[in-house]
Amino acid sequence: MNSKTKTQKILVYLMMITICVITVGPFLYTLFIALKSATQGIYDGLLPTNPTLSNFIDAFHKTDFLLYLWNTVIVTGIAVVFNLLFSSMAGYALARIEFKGRSIVLTLIIATMTVPFQLYMAPLFQIAGELGLRNTHVGLAILQISTAFGIYFMRQAFLNVPKELEESAYLDGANRFVVWWKVAMPLVKPTVISLAIYTFTFTWGDYLWPLINTTDSSMYTISIGLAQMSQNFDGGNMKLISAASILTTIPSLLVFIWLQKYFISGQTDGAVKG
Amino acid sequence: MKKRKLTLALGTGLIALGLAACGDEDEGTSKSGESGELSGEVTMWTASLSGEPFDSYFADLEAEFEEMHPDVDVIIEDIPQNEIQQKVLTSLTGDDVPDVVNLAPRYMINIAEQGGLLDLNDLVSDDVKNSFLEGPFQAGHYDDGLYALPWYLTTTVAWYNSNHFEQAGITETPTNTQEVYDTAKAITDSTGKPSFYQIINAGDTVIQKMITLANGESIVEEGKTVLANNEDILEFFTLTQKMYEEGIMPQENAEGSFSTAQELFMAENLSLVETGVTFLGPIESGSPDVYAASKAAQPLNDPNAPMNVAVMNFSIPSKSDNPDAAVALAEFVTNAENQLEFAKVAGTVLPSTTESLEDDYFTNPGDSPKALGMLEAAKSLERSKELIPALENVSELHEIVKNAYVKNLQGDLTPEEALQEITDKWDASFEEAGLTPTF
Repeated sequence: MNSKTKTQKILVYLMMITICVITVGPFLYTLFIALKSATQGIYDGLLPTNPTLSNFIDAFHKTDFLLYLWNTVIVTGIAVVFNLLFSSMAGYALARIEFKGRSIVLTLIIATMTVPFQLYMAPLFQIAGELGLRNTHVGLAILQISTAFGIYFMRQAFLNVPKELEESAYLDGANRFVVWWKVAMPLVKPTVISLAIYTFTFTWGDYLWPLINTTDSSMYTISIGLAQMSQNFDGGNMKLISAASILTTIPSLLVFIWLQKYFISGQTDGAVKG
Repeated sequence: MKKRKLTLALGTGLIALGLAACGDEDEGTSKSGESGELSGEVTMWTASLSGEPFDSYFADLEAEFEEMHPDVDVIIEDIPQNEIQQKVLTSLTGDDVPDVVNLAPRYMINIAEQGGLLDLNDLVSDDVKNSFLEGPFQAGHYDDGLYALPWYLTTTVAWYNSNHFEQAGITETPTNTQEVYDTAKAITDSTGKPSFYQIINAGDTVIQKMITLANGESIVEEGKTVLANNEDILEFFTLTQKMYEEGIMPQENAEGSFSTAQELFMAENLSLVETGVTFLGPIESGSPDVYAASKAAQPLNDPNAPMNVAVMNFSIPSKSDNPDAAVALAEFVTNAENQLEFAKVAGTVLPSTTESLEDDYFTNPGDSPKALGMLEAAKSLERSKELIPALENVSELHEIVKNAYVKNLQGDLTPEEALQEITDKWDASFEEAGLTPTF
C-alpha cells in the first residue's frame, strides 16, 4: 500500500468516525444521563460513576408509560399495514392503469403534500369527531392511512418493474389483482419495506394529531407522555426524560436495524425513474 | 421561520373561522336540575400537571367535588402546556369541548378575543371575586370582561450559587443594575466563568424588567412610548451589553430562554439570575450539589419597585355544555382551602387567595432551597401584579423588544438606538391596532 492510498484511507476513516460521533453522540450522551444516579449531577463528568437503571424504572412508574407504549404500538401497526396496502394499490393503478385524467390525479395527490397540517387540522378534527374516530386507535392512525408520499413512492417503484413480466402473467390467465399481488409486489419489496419504515418512524413519533384527537388521556401515545414529562410545570427531571426518550427510541432503532438492508436499496429505487 | 409563522397564522385564521361558524351553538345550556342541583359531566383540563404528586391531588379534588354534587361526573385530563391553546382552539371548532381549562393569561386573551371563552362577570359571586388578590384577579380581565379566575402564582426572585458568591467574597445580592454589574464582574473574575444571565424568553421578561426599572413611571403613555429619558432602563441596556461583551454574560444569553439558564446554572456556568421561583425544578434532580448551594433573595431591583406576577388561570370555554357545573368546579378548585393544599403539594407556587396566604406555611415553609425561594416569592408578592396589560398586540410588543434587546446585547445597536427602535415600532404597532394604553 503506497503512502497516498494510506493517507486516503486515514482520511476516509476520520470522516466516518466524525460522522459517527455526530449521529450516535447525542444518543449516547442521552443514555449516559439516563444511567446517572440520583447523587450524580448530569454535568458531573460524561460517564455515569454509579450506573443505575432506576431512572428507567421511574419512567415506567411516574407516567402511564406502558399504556402509552401499547397505544403507540397499535396505532403504528394500523398505520403501517393500511398505508402499505392503500399506497401500493393506488401507486400501482397510477403506474400501470391507463385512465383519463391519470396525470391530473397524480398531480393532485402530490400537491396535497405541500399543504401544511395546521391548515386542515381543524376540519379534520371535526370530521374525525363526526365519524366517531375521536379517542380511537384508528382515529389516531388516520393521517397515515394512505399518504400522498406513499402513493408517489410506490408508483415510482412500480414504474421500474418490467412490463414483460406482468404481460406474461396475464397470458397465463392472471387477473390484475393477482398480477399486482403476486408479480409486482414481490419485485418492489425493498420499496415496500422502506415505506414501512418511514410510516413506522413518522407514526411512532407523531405528536400533534394524537394530542388534538384525544380528549381521554388513556388514549395518549408515547410522544405525548414524553411532552408531559419534559413540559412539567417546574422544568422536569432530565435523567427521567432521558431514560424515557431512550425507551421510546429503542423500538424504532430495532426495526431500522432489522430492515436496514432493504431500506437502503429501497431508497434508491424511487429515484431511478420519473 | 417566516413560513412557519405564516402557516400558524393561516391555521389560527381557519380555527377562528370555525369558531365564528359555530359560536353560539349550545351556549348557555344549563344542566342544573329543577331543584338547582348540578348534574352531568364536567371536564377539566390542567396544563402540564401530570404524574405525582398532582395525580393524587386531583383525584382527591375530584372525589370531594363529586361527593358535594352526587349527580356530577368530573373528568380531569392533563394537556402539555405548550399545546393547550391550540388544543382548546381546535376543540372549539367541534363538539368535544372541555368545560374548565387551565390557561396562562396570554392564551386566555387570544381565545377570549376570538369569542371562545365565557364572560364570568355575572356567573361568579362578589364573595368569590373578593376572595382573590387584586393583581392576579385583574389578570383574568380582558376588554371589560372577566374570562378567568386566578389559580396559582409565581413571582420573581433572585437565585444565586452561594459557593460562587463566597469564592468572590460577596455577601449581599445587588439591588440595582450597577451593583449587578459589579457583583457579576467580581464573580467572573474569581471563577473565570460567565456569571449573570438575563432571561429574555419571548421578550416579555425584558418588558417586565423595564417596567420594574421605571419604578412607577409609565413607559407608554396613551399609546406613545416614552423610554428615551428613562436613565435606569438606558443603564440596563448599556450594562447588559457591556457584560455580554466582557464575557460576564454567556454567549448563550442571546437565545435567552429560561431552560438555557437552568442548564447553565446546573453546569455551574452561571451564578446569578433573576427569575421565577420554579427555576430550581430540574436542578434538584439534575445537579444535587448546585441545588444544595442555591439560595434565593429578593429581585435585583429597588426593594419597592413593582414586580411581575405570573398567573395561572381557570377559564370556561363558551361552548361548554355544562357551564353551571363548570363555574362551580372552577370556584371549588380556586377556593382558599384547595389553593393552599395545591401550593403545599407543588412546593414552589403561591396561592392567589388572600386567606390561603395567611397560613403559617408561607411564613415558615422549611429550609430547603425551594422553600426559601418560596419565602422570598411570598415577600415580593405584596408588590407584584401583571405588569404587561392584556393588549391584542402584546405578542408583537414582545417580539419587537426581543429583537432590539438581542441586537443591543450583541453590539449591533447602541443602547440608545435599541430604545429608539422599540419606541418607533411600538408606536407604529399601537397606531395600527388603534390602541392608546398607558402602562
